[in-house]
Parts: sequence; C-alpha cells; structure tokens
Amino acid sequence: MREILIIIKKELKELLRDKKTIFNSIILPTLITPILIIGISKVTSFINKKESRKAIEIGLVNAPDDFLRLIANDTLNKTTNYQATDDFKNLIDEETIQTAIVFPSDWDSQMSNLNTSEIKVYRNGTKDNVNDRVSALITSYNNTIKEYRIKALDIPVQKMTPFKETYVEVGERKELIGKRIGGFIPYIFILSLWGGCVLSAIDLVTGEKERKTIETTLSLPISKFKILLGKAAVSSLLGFLPALFNIVGIIIGVKLLDNIPPAIQTLIDEFLSVQNLTLILLLLIPFAIFISALLIALITGATSFKEAQSKVTPVIMFIIIPLVLAMLPTMELSWATVFIPVLNIGLGIKDVMAGTIDMAQYATILVSMIAIAVGAIFFSYKKFSDENAILK
Amino acid sequence: MIQVEHLTKSFTTVIKKGFKQERSVVNAVNDISFECKPGRIFSLLGPNGAGKTTTLRMIAGIINPTSGTAIVDNVDIASTGDEVKKRIGFLTGSTGLYERLNADETIEFFGKVHRIPEKELNERKEYLFDKLSINDFRKKRIGQMSTGMKQKVSIARTLIHDPEVLIFDEPTSGLDVITADSIIDLIRESKANNKTVIFSSHIMSEVDLLCDDLAIINKGNIIYNDSFSNFKKDMKADTLTQEFINRVKEA
Repeated sequence: MREILIIIKKELKELLRDKKTIFNSIILPTLITPILIIGISKVTSFINKKESRKAIEIGLVNAPDDFLRLIANDTLNKTTNYQATDDFKNLIDEETIQTAIVFPSDWDSQMSNLNTSEIKVYRNGTKDNVNDRVSALITSYNNTIKEYRIKALDIPVQKMTPFKETYVEVGERKELIGKRIGGFIPYIFILSLWGGCVLSAIDLVTGEKERKTIETTLSLPISKFKILLGKAAVSSLLGFLPALFNIVGIIIGVKLLDNIPPAIQTLIDEFLSVQNLTLILLLLIPFAIFISALLIALITGATSFKEAQSKVTPVIMFIIIPLVLAMLPTMELSWATVFIPVLNIGLGIKDVMAGTIDMAQYATILVSMIAIAVGAIFFSYKKFSDENAILK
Repeated sequence: MIQVEHLTKSFTTVIKKGFKQERSVVNAVNDISFECKPGRIFSLLGPNGAGKTTTLRMIAGIINPTSGTAIVDNVDIASTGDEVKKRIGFLTGSTGLYERLNADETIEFFGKVHRIPEKELNERKEYLFDKLSINDFRKKRIGQMSTGMKQKVSIARTLIHDPEVLIFDEPTSGLDVITADSIIDLIRESKANNKTVIFSSHIMSEVDLLCDDLAIINKGNIIYNDSFSNFKKDMKADTLTQEFINRVKEA
C-alpha cells in the first residue's frame, strides 16, 4: 500500500502541475454549471424583456372598430391598413410588417347574425414573440365576442361550461420533477467524469511514453500491478473530481440565482441534500475506477496522444447511449437494469433525485459496479503487463 | 556480480493482412550467456537492433525473459520478481526523468521507492548534489533543465540507493563531450567502488577508455565474449572500430 501511495503522490504532483489538467479537472467543471445556470437564466430573462418591449408592425384589412380599440390598448402595436389584394407574404418578407390580420368584408353582418366567420392571419412561424402576442390578441377578441353573444342570447354561463377539470397529483412534486430533470444530472456528472478520466489516463500512460519515462517507471522496484493501481487511482480521482466540482458548481449556481420561488427553492434544497449527494457520489467512485481501468487498457499500446485519443473516442458512444436511454421517462430502474453498466448509474441517480430509490437496488448497483471495476482493473493489468504494448 | 545464463527473449509480432492476421515469433535475444564481475567494467557491444537494450532490460527486470535467467547480485531475475530492481541502478542516454518534478522531488521519489530511511536519504541526496553540482538548479523543474543538468540528476537518481550493480544503456548517446565525460567518470568511480558495471555502446573510443571485459552481440547472438585485453591481442584490423565492424560482418 505504501508503494501505491508513493506512486499516487508522484503522479498527482505531476498531473496537477499541468495547466491543462487543472483547467479541465477543476476550473472548468466548477465554473461551467454556474455559468450555464446563471447565464441561461440571465440571457432568457434579458431576451424576454427585450422582446416584450419591441413594437409589432401589424397589417390590417377590414378590421372592425372593437378590434382596433383592443389593439390600441397596447401602445407597442403599430397598425397599417391594407387592401385584401395586397401581397402580405412579400410585405412580411421585406419586414414592412411582421404579421397581417385579414377580416372578411362582411365581418360586421356575420357577427350581427351570430355566424361563424374567418380571420386570416399571415405570419412567419419563426417569430415567436410576434405570433404569441398576436395569438393572445385574437384569443382575447374571440373571448370578448363569445361573452357578448352569451349575454345577448341570455344563456346562463354554467350551461356553456359542461365540466371543469381538476387534477389531483398523487406523486410527490419532488418525484415528478426529479424524474424529469433527474435524467440530465447523470449526463452532466458522467460526461465530466469521462473527460477527467480520459485526459489523466492518456497523460499517465501515453504521456509517459511520449516523455520517455515509461522505462524508468518500469525499472522501479515496484510491481507492475501496483504501478497500474497507482495510475488507475489517480486517473479515477481526476475523473471523480470534475464530477464533484460539478456538484459544487451547481450549488454555487443555484445560490447565485435571484428570484427563485420559495417552493422551488425547497425542492432544490431537497435535491441537493447531503444524503442525495452522498448516494450519487458513492455510485460515481466505482464507476470512475471502471472507466479509468478500461481507458488504461485501451491506450496501453498507443504511442502518441493522438493515437490514444482515437482509441478511446468510440467508447464515448457506449456511455452516451445508455445515458440517453436513462433520460427517457419510460425507462425505470428495475432488477433487469441494475446490472447494465452506465444505464444503472443513470437510472440510479434519477431515482435518487426523485427520492424513489430502492435501497436494495441501489446496493446492487454499487456492488455490481465494484465487481465490474475490479474486473476492469485486472483486464487493464493484463494489457499493462504486455511488454510489446507498454514498451512500444 | 551478474551471471547471464542462456537468456532468450522472443517477441510475437502480428501482421494484419485484410481480415487475416499473421503471427511471427522473433528472437530478439537468443540463448546468450556471459558474466560480469564486481570491480570490472563489462561492455556489451553491438550494432543498432542487435539486442543490447533487450538484454539489459531483462537483467534489470523491466521485461521477463522467454527462457533462461540471470543472477544479479545473488538474486535470480526469474524467481524473485521486483527484488532484483532494488539492487540495480539503471541509466539510459535519454535520462527518463519526470519533467514536471524538480531535482529534489525526483531524488526523494526514487529514495522513497527504494525505502531509504529519511535521514539517510537526505544525507545521500546532499552528498550527491554536492558532488554533481546540482545545488544551483535543485528546485528547477526537469523539463526546464539543459541536457547536461538532466544527466546529472539522472546520475544522482541512479546512485541514490547505492546499488551493487550498475547498468548503463548507451549512456552517452546524444550527449555533448562534457556531459559524456561526467558519465565516464561515474562509470570509473563505480568500478573503483567495486561495483558490477555493465554498459552497452557502439562507441569504440568509450569502450577503449573503460572496458575490462566485453561481449559483442549481433542479431541476438553473442559472437564474442572475452576480456578486452584478449580482444585487443587478437585484433586483425588497425583500429578497434574496424575490428568491431569486421567481426559483426563475419558473424
């Protein structure tokens, strides 16, 4: 154990003196989530505010007076009258107007006779702000006419309302939201873990070859198995750390966000409870060891950083596909899925977040991941002991 | 003392031809035997690819022999695993130092790996740093050092555990004459301290300066093994280099 610790200490010292490692394993994962959370929230709110203050150029044809009054309520609406024969597509394309509302010429008589008429709205589907505001205007106008007709016909309101809907949520709110957003959380953690493991594993094995120190390392009076364990431990740690710093980043990001409703704040506090985070991080430890050992086994024969990268890149698909599956709402943790690597971690984290984790299944995931990690270490040792590969 | 007995190393190479794979076994070292005695310098000579590095790597326990063995300072490399590495100082021309560590950290790392007690490690480190004039750049990272500085640190890490056996694999390859001279001094001093020294080279002037016994290896086979004085006595060519070339060609 003493020898493994000497190797770990030396490898960590070397890696942490590399600016690339510091940036990718510590700075980036810590900052990326708060930047994303705060950045997206600020940008969205800025865009929404900016859009809501924008004037809309509306082209009108045969617009009735009550509709003109409704439009005039919002001073940001700018209107221009057109003929029904005008080319509205062209006018919108040239941005003379942003939308056009065409009423039929017999609108007033149709309304007086309580008939159903038709309003034609010319619009560009990509202009959400314009379309949403115009839709709101038309819905509001429609409701006003409906209310007027109900009154005119002297129909009691309840007769026009056959039923009301009341939804009774039996799932906890935490479970509901946890299941929905819980799928994204392992995606973030596992991808940052993967990134950390890849960089460190390549540096620890292929990097040693490139720097011509592998022979020195193998000439140390320490068995290859212990050298490998030291390297795998460091690679796992540098995979685990970004995931940990990601969590720190999420906590910082959430703390820095303003105007979170108290109910949502309570939910966030529950998601990020010490118990939840401990359960998640505990799952990531054997997973990091498994990934590191697997990566070391794959890159043992590589002689350059580029070659090592090309060997490990395809493996990312075996990480992403199960994680995407884990995000699907229909995919649930069961006794069949607890043994499938990556998918079990994804589903396990999702259930931990939702507060619905079955502890027997959780323990099974943990034990199976430890077994897989041990297997990966021995596979890696077999490759690392291959003199043809390691001294290539 | 190093006793090499019928040492063989085979490598399997796989050549891919479409969907087929062809395997071929190559003997990099083929049933070689020789002996290096304490207080004497043994030169292993041979052209590039002759099997020198493979032989030295097997003696140093870095790779395992396919058959045969070597007894290094009474330790059998085939049966004792990493025990042999404790008794060896292994130096190569490329230094093989960890470039993100400084000289102090490098020597401490090797000292700890060799389980040298802390007090003894510090004393030995200071002695070597004084002797090799490393003090001025002891806190500088290896990656920022000149080749000469690196080679000095490399010598210090080779000697930190005061090994009984010293293996030098083309130690002066690529070095300037001044740095190469410090290596030659080290080899001489090791001999004076009754250490067992084996070095590989293809530079005949170095061999002439240092060698007591020699073996010439070519294509994995030992084609000459005797004392250097006998080699010189038996010479037919005018120069050592020419004699070496002739013997390799004849083999």
